[in-house]
This record gives sequence, C-alpha cells and structure tokens, in this order.
Amino acid sequence: MQTGSRTDGNLLDAIAGGDTAALRELYARHAPWLQLRLQRRCADRDAVDDALQDTFVAVWRKPARYDGTGEVAAWLWGIAIRRLIDVLRRRPRMLTLLEREEAEPSAEEQVLLGIEHGDLAGALNRLSPELRAVVQATVLDGLTTAEAAGLLGIPSGTVKTRMMRARAQLREEFA
Amino acid sequence: MSWHVDDALLERYAAGTLDDAWAFSLEAHLLACEECRARTVPRADLARVETVWADVQELVDAPRRTPVERALILLGVRDHMARLLAATPSLTPPWFAAVALCLAFAVVAAHGSDRGVAGFLAVAPLLPLAGVAAAYGPWLDPTYEIGLAAPMRTFSLLLLRSSAVLLTTTVLTGVAALALPNVDWRAAAWLTPALGLVLVSVALTTWISAEMAFGGVASCWIGGVIVAREAGDIYVAFDAPVQVAFATVAAVAAIVLTWRLHTFQTEREA
Repeated sequence: MQTGSRTDGNLLDAIAGGDTAALRELYARHAPWLQLRLQRRCADRDAVDDALQDTFVAVWRKPARYDGTGEVAAWLWGIAIRRLIDVLRRRPRMLTLLEREEAEPSAEEQVLLGIEHGDLAGALNRLSPELRAVVQATVLDGLTTAEAAGLLGIPSGTVKTRMMRARAQLREEFA
Repeated sequence: MSWHVDDALLERYAAGTLDDAWAFSLEAHLLACEECRARTVPRADLARVETVWADVQELVDAPRRTPVERALILLGVRDHMARLLAATPSLTPPWFAAVALCLAFAVVAAHGSDRGVAGFLAVAPLLPLAGVAAAYGPWLDPTYEIGLAAPMRTFSLLLLRSSAVLLTTTVLTGVAALALPNVDWRAAAWLTPALGLVLVSVALTTWISAEMAFGGVASCWIGGVIVAREAGDIYVAFDAPVQVAFATVAAVAAIVLTWRLHTFQTEREA
C-alpha cells in the first residue's frame, strides 16, 4: 500500500537516526490530512498550525515512541489531537469549535444516509451538535474525558453527562 | 480495500460542510488508507502546510536544550542567556557531580574526627574558586572562541557565569555543611574565605593570566591552612579576625575589580 520507496515505519527509523529528509517526507505525506482533520475540530487556524508544528517536532524528538504496531497515521493523529489540546489550553479560548453550517439534509438524503449506514448515520446526525462533538472526541478520537474537556473547552463533568445523554438518545433511536 | 472516498466527499470534508456521520467514516478510513490520504493533499491549505514546515525545520535544526538550559529557562532566564550559561563547564551535571562527590568525602571525613571538620573548611572555599576558574578560561570551555565573538561584552559574560557558578557551588557547599557533625558557627566559616578568594582571583586576572591568578590564590589558601595547622590550631584560619580580614579583602577586591573593568575589557578584546 505504500507509494514511496520507504514505508512510514522506515521513515521513523531514519528519523531516529537524525535524517531530516525522512522527516520532510513523513511531513509531506501526513501534514495535509492532519491539517484538515484538526481544522474540523478547531476553527482557529493559528492553533491548528501550532498543533501541527508541535506534532512533527515531537516526532523528531521522540520517534521511538512509536511502538511499531498499528498504523503510523493513527499514532500521528494521537499526537496531533493532544498537541491541539495543549495549544488550546495555553491560549485564551476564542471561538474554537468550528461553526458548522447545519444544513438540514433533505428527505431524500435522509433515506440515502439510512441505506448507507444502517440508520446509524441518521441517528448520529440527529444528535445535537454539542452531543456529537463529545461523541467525536471520545469515540472517534479516542480521547479521555479530561482530554475531551480540554479540546471542547467544557468541564469534565459536562463531557460525561453529554456522553450519557448521547448514548441514551442513540439507544432510544435503535430500540 | 473495498471502499475508497470519492472526490465529492473529500471536497465537502475539506470545506467543512460534510455532516458528522460521513466525516466519522471518512476519518476512520483515512487512518487505514494511504491512497485516500494522498488524495487529501491537494485539498489542504498547502501554503500553510509549507509555512508550518519552515517552523518545524527551524526547531529541528536548532541544537537541543540541555537539562541545565531548560532549568534556567524555567527559572525565567531568557533563551540566549540560558544557552551561554549552560555552556559553562562548571555549570554542567558532571561538574555538579564532581563537587558533590568532593563534599561528600569531606563530610564523611568530618564525621571521622574533629580534624575532619577542619579538612572540610579547607576544601570548601576551593570549590567555588575552581568553578569560577573553569568558567573563565579557554582550557575547559568549548565555547571560548564563540564567547569572544559574542555580542555580549566579554566581561559581562564572565561575570554572569562566575556569579552563577559561585551561587550554585555555594548552595551545594552550604547544603553539605549542614551534614557536618555538631553544626555550629564552623558550618558557615568557609563562606567569607570563599568569597574573598574568588573576588581576589577575578580582580587579579585583570593584571595577570587566569592560570596565574587562580593557581596563585588557591596555593596561598592551601599554604595558609597548612601554616595554621603547623602552628597548632587550624581553626585560627577561620577565627573572627580572619573572617573580618577576608570580608575586607573581598570588599577591596570588588572595588578594585570595578575600577579595573575598563582595562580588563580592552585587554580581553585586544
């Protein structure tokens, strides 16, 4: 599946040996999608850029933290989302959560979505944006309650109650 | 891989208009699919990606901070100052380890006999002196040549380093002194001699070479301690009159030093 001559794992080995060209290659491969994904979690571009920078500086300093199992991409995302949380903690919080255009899907789209995903997609999209943000942070990004609280700028207790509400609502949808 | 992200979906994802359920699937897929990751590249803000890379590169190329440097920055010292200080040979962990070992021996000896306390007192003032000497000259300092070319005036740098060394070594010695048996006035008796020896040496370097100045002053101290011991009571070398004398010498040396500053500066720069 790897396109270049070197796999991501090879690049990390080379980075451990002080090879900056390998870091450059890894950056070129992964920085673009990391930027897009971070941007979806945080509207502040400077914060996203800082998090991206911190991520690759961290990779350069401690490439051996990658334990050799699993996708390098997943490992990088784990670093990036935590760097973003650190960056947000350091700066006064402005408007960090992306203001999404909450376009109501048409009836047709609703049906199509239902076919594509079972009805999970519809059920997820029917959650309020606050609940969805919590589901995204904890389930998809694999963050702890405290980390999710840091990312979303809300108390840990609120993360827990929102997660409970989301779970209850989803359960009800499928009941 | 049975499924790949189509372009329209990627476009909406990048624009931030894709709904969350789709975005969740897409993100999960991207982690596992290099091909689709590659297709996100043209959709990212590549100008920003390049700007961030320039910053990463700058940080990666910069020499890494030593633990001493990081500690200094934590204490509020500015970056460039921290680097200059951390490069001082007598402000490095090996140096601190050597001083600690030296003090440990002296303290252990002091517990052995009453004369051991005298040994501690004889050695203690020499440690800051050695530290400042090491901070000073070309013999141990790998950044000596760089120091000469530093934008900071040579003497300011030396004074800064010497002060930092004096402070750290004195703190270490002070802590060790608390471990002496029957802590009394003698636990602090080395302090004034130490200050006197250092200031006199530094003042002397404005006339003679650093080797001569530090070597000479250290020899005088050792000689004085031996004479006092031969005379029957080594503590004579730490008596109140001697303390006053050292304090006076330190003050005079400080004044001479200030007066000699200009000469010193031009001689070092010549």
